[in-house]
Amino acid sequence: MRFIPYFLYLLLIGMHQVIWRDMTSIYGAAVNLAALMVLGVALYKSEVIACWFGFAAGIVLAAGFPNVMGWHALTLAALGLAAYHVKERLNLESFYTKLLLMFVGILLHNILASVIQSDRYFYQLWLNALAGAIYTTVIAQIFFLFKEGVVTAKKIKSIF
Amino acid sequence: MTWISNLFSRYWRNFHFVSVLLLTVILIYNNTAINGFVSQVAVSAFNYPFFMVNNFFDGLVEVSEKNESLQAALVEASVRLSMLEEARLENNRLRAVLGFEPPPGYSLIPAKVISVTGDKIPVSAVINRGSKDSIFIDQAIINQAGLIGRVISVTYDFATVQLLTDPTNRVAARVAESREMGIVKYNISEGMILDNFPIQGTINRGDVILSSGLGGVYPSGLRVGTVSAVEYPEEEPFCNVTLTPAVNFNSIEELFILQLRPL
Repeated sequence: MRFIPYFLYLLLIGMHQVIWRDMTSIYGAAVNLAALMVLGVALYKSEVIACWFGFAAGIVLAAGFPNVMGWHALTLAALGLAAYHVKERLNLESFYTKLLLMFVGILLHNILASVIQSDRYFYQLWLNALAGAIYTTVIAQIFFLFKEGVVTAKKIKSIF
Repeated sequence: MTWISNLFSRYWRNFHFVSVLLLTVILIYNNTAINGFVSQVAVSAFNYPFFMVNNFFDGLVEVSEKNESLQAALVEASVRLSMLEEARLENNRLRAVLGFEPPPGYSLIPAKVISVTGDKIPVSAVINRGSKDSIFIDQAIINQAGLIGRVISVTYDFATVQLLTDPTNRVAARVAESREMGIVKYNISEGMILDNFPIQGTINRGDVILSSGLGGVYPSGLRVGTVSAVEYPEEEPFCNVTLTPAVNFNSIEELFILQLRPL
């Protein structure tokens, strides 16, 4: 039973890869949902879970590219583990430091993923990686606003 | 056995990391069989259902777009079909006109009706010929069926034709067989009639009525109509003669202006 939420997260990553990624991309900058979810799990769960979830997310992310699947799995597993330790060492509580961690983590993963795929020009990769990281961080901010209780359904209702 | 349990609980964390590392190394080593199998499982479980959903909606969008383009093509085709049908009918009419001879001493100027006016029946029509085509007032207008009317006003490009159905229009006429004369006019209540025809004259149902040429406007010998009914009222000097017009005034499209041929 405890694996069901992670399975659903993986399904969400798969769905994003197939359906939403192209629909939501803006001038080549796409939301990196896999990295976002791995970082989210690392922030709120244990390091073992973050590591295994990163590994599984890497496999789902590169399901269509078996030759680079291992590298993606390693990158995301390492990202999850690293994010967990950064959180533990720095004892992140502030909303903005969490966002900063997200931004750096996603940017790092975007660059590594681009290097792993290595099918585009470097400046284009860098541009897409940075733009994609900013885009994903905006999505992460919306997620944190709800998760931290800054925005709630009751507050939204009160506006109207 | 306890020492194994202790060892495992002490290093369980590292055991997980080593397992993950080991698995990634196996995947990085890129064994075709292993990676292919893992990829197949991952695609089947996490991608394929969404591919199906995506394809379903893509198909719907494609069908919708195709439907729209087909509907546009259908409208275009039906417009083209109706234009072709119109051209076919025009072709039939023009074929009927082909070989139509004017009365002796006259030439024909072909014209097309642009618009007709009238309340219940058309009483006048505008044609696409004007003074630039040497059209002038009081020229007779005919088609292959018979007399239509006369020109009553002319501009540079257009002319207005007073049809025989205009109650103010009169045609001096005679019965083709007996050569007896009368005046053809049109009443809204009675239709086309031959007026002033003496009761002792010879006229029968089915006789053809032609223009007599006496009024000076219409040349003689133009078919005006056919006698459809004759009544002989008591104590009246004239009989009531009802005519069926030679021309169907509701469907005039192509017509001819009679122009006197120069001597």
